Amino acid sequence: MKLFSAAALSVALLLGSTVSSLAVERGGVMTYGRYADSLFLDPVLNDANVDIWILSNMYDTLLLPTDDGKGVQPGLASDYKLADDGLSVTLTLRDGIKFSDGSPITPDDVIFSLGRASTPDNGIWGFLISSIAGIESPDAKTVVIKLNRPDPAIIPALSVFNTAIMPKAAFEAAAGTTDTEKAEAFSAKPVGSGPFVLESWERGTLMKLVKNPHYWDMGEDGQPLPYLDGVTFEIIPDDATRILRLQSGELDGAEFIPFARVAELQAADGIAMELYPSTKVNYITFNVRPQIEGKDNPLSNAKVREALNYATNKEAIIQIVTQGVGTPMTSFMSAATPLQSGKAPLYPYDLDKAKALMAEAGFADGFSTSILALAGNQDDAGITTALQQMWAAVGVKLEIKQVDNATRTAQYRAGTFEMRTAAWTDDIADPSEITSYFAYSPTIDALHSGWKNEEADKLFEASQSETDAAKRAEQYARIQDIFNAEGPTLPLFETPYPVALSKKVQGFSQIPLGNNIFRAAWLEK
Amino acid sequence: MPLSEFIARRLLQLIPTLIFILIVVFVLVRLLPGDPTSAILGDRGTDADIDRINRQLGIDRSIPVQFWLFVKSVFTADLGNSIVLKRPVTELIVQRLPVTVALTALAALIALCLAVPLAFVAALRRDQLADNAIRGGFQIGLSMPVFYLGLILLTVFGAKLHWFPVGGYGETFLDRLYHLILPATTLALSLSAVLMRNLRAAIIGVVDAEYVSFARAKGLAPRLILIRHVLRNALISTVTLFGLSIGTLLGGAVITETVFAIPGAGRLMIDSIYGRDYPVVQGLTLALAVLVSITFLLTDLLQAWLDPRVAR
Repeated sequence: MKLFSAAALSVALLLGSTVSSLAVERGGVMTYGRYADSLFLDPVLNDANVDIWILSNMYDTLLLPTDDGKGVQPGLASDYKLADDGLSVTLTLRDGIKFSDGSPITPDDVIFSLGRASTPDNGIWGFLISSIAGIESPDAKTVVIKLNRPDPAIIPALSVFNTAIMPKAAFEAAAGTTDTEKAEAFSAKPVGSGPFVLESWERGTLMKLVKNPHYWDMGEDGQPLPYLDGVTFEIIPDDATRILRLQSGELDGAEFIPFARVAELQAADGIAMELYPSTKVNYITFNVRPQIEGKDNPLSNAKVREALNYATNKEAIIQIVTQGVGTPMTSFMSAATPLQSGKAPLYPYDLDKAKALMAEAGFADGFSTSILALAGNQDDAGITTALQQMWAAVGVKLEIKQVDNATRTAQYRAGTFEMRTAAWTDDIADPSEITSYFAYSPTIDALHSGWKNEEADKLFEASQSETDAAKRAEQYARIQDIFNAEGPTLPLFETPYPVALSKKVQGFSQIPLGNNIFRAAWLEK
Repeated sequence: MPLSEFIARRLLQLIPTLIFILIVVFVLVRLLPGDPTSAILGDRGTDADIDRINRQLGIDRSIPVQFWLFVKSVFTADLGNSIVLKRPVTELIVQRLPVTVALTALAALIALCLAVPLAFVAALRRDQLADNAIRGGFQIGLSMPVFYLGLILLTVFGAKLHWFPVGGYGETFLDRLYHLILPATTLALSLSAVLMRNLRAAIIGVVDAEYVSFARAKGLAPRLILIRHVLRNALISTVTLFGLSIGTLLGGAVITETVFAIPGAGRLMIDSIYGRDYPVVQGLTLALAVLVSITFLLTDLLQAWLDPRVAR
């Protein structure tokens, strides 16, 4: 009997593990270890990834990003149509959609939310929907967004966190007089229409989300999503402790696994080490102004920048810093960004070419320069010491200045830095955001580098209202060619999002834009 | 001088100290490169965004004006709002400081419970096996970095043996106490090593003193001699050391709180300095300064009780 039951059990286990992907199981709370806590759960006024990457679980948008992060799919709006002249978007709201407090979502809420998000003084994300001129509602199910110019990025923009739909009445009833004060009061107990609702939040330690009973989407079993009863975020800043907690079964998932631990966790029992494709690029920014604080700046010479690019063995840095997890960059934007046109890795290591370029630029004997690195950051330490050694071969003496983030940002904004380490992730499934910061000089002086290219600026401006998809792709290909050839950066590598999950976890994903998606996650019992 | 006057005098001395600390912190944190808004926005904010938000926060004004406004609000028990966390600073202090106080107090208790008995054993068995073993053991505890020791304890007693939770802070009072035991032990080990060595040396000094020989000659019970004469006199210097160490313990709590994922004031302080969250840095410094001053006062009172000459 015992033998029989053991055999039956093992057969059941075998079957269970093979068919589990077919039959979802409901219930349970997924505990997820984060490296840092959220700061401000307001879709419009937040400013950091710790908020952005979890907001969509609480606040739903009219459209949703697709799983590959490159496109959109219907969300609160079941249907959307961009007018032929590109000057308006017509959206049809789903039937019976409700906020988590049970109140219906009306066109008024949409008008209020998009109006608030596009007000220039509200937060820093308004530029993503700067084309919105007005919003109208011809009937109780339809919303028409009028644009002040044709905007090819307006459709993906309606899937970005800052265009989340919020309940007008509840927001306006929140304590305070200004929008900021109301947002602070409202976000303490937010009401949205995402798959989960904030239940409690002990800052710096624990955030509990529970299932939103009014969520509109259906699961594979024909019942409403989400499958989970809730999600609990535990804040565990120390990488080693976060991993230890996962290994001891106290967490179901842990984000930001250091690359040095990836191989070990890939081999570990009961753990699925996920490397989700991302839009994250790591690069060095050069200050290219002719003079920095009255001193001549060799980095203003495009040949010097090219030489440093060739003198950098990126494959070696990928091995040292990302333990081989990273991939070389083929353009300044990630391969997961729509309209990325890169074909081959940029600037393959070529020391002879680097030396020749340095001589051509008049720096055959090299020069001294410096780089800002984040103090205490292992990746930055690895990158900058590798550069220091590699560039010694072309006579460049690199001083590494370790500073904290605020100091680095201050020097960056003031334009007094020589070089800095940097990383970027997209927030929208469109190349316009990264291009406006990197290549379009009016935004922030091309990464505060002082770089300016008339052609790139003009192409970007034209692309912002180009409705012909093929033409826009050409414009972006040209901008990338220009920037990759003479721009103010040294592309290093792309990296995925390293997340370790318990093998019980199914259906969770982190999309390339960074959003953690729990709506279809479930736990095997 | 009566005790009440002693306390009153010490409390009065506290006021200029606190004002001085406050001015220094207020000015220093603003002299650091960068500002809260660009620290939060990092690389994304445009200059216009950052200037607009700094103006809304009032941190574009001159330091003396900001200080005047701050002092005015302190007198209404308002320490301002956190720029990063958007919550009142007083609320954050009330949430976070008790956690650190509990952690530090528990660590101090564990350190004393380890140090005092073992110091006696070591002193009374001077240079014998027990003495060498105790001193050797504490030497290891003292020389190991706190974060490393913490990770070892977490791995062994948490992940492997499952006696304690692997970090985190729990939700009920008892659960939280349970969560604090490993981090408090981590924090306690280096302090107990210092205390033990100090107390051992003091006991050795006292044991050979004439008044102890006299008590022994009088025929007093050995236990009574140890407690009434040896311990009381040996403790005087250890109490001073212990009081001074509380400040160090609070500093060590920062690392311990990070390794064990405990939401204490130490972590808040570090995050606030990195984030240039001026109101939190000011408020928390003020609270910590009061706390440390109270600890020093209690230490002095304890010393006055042990050695009445101190209060004179």
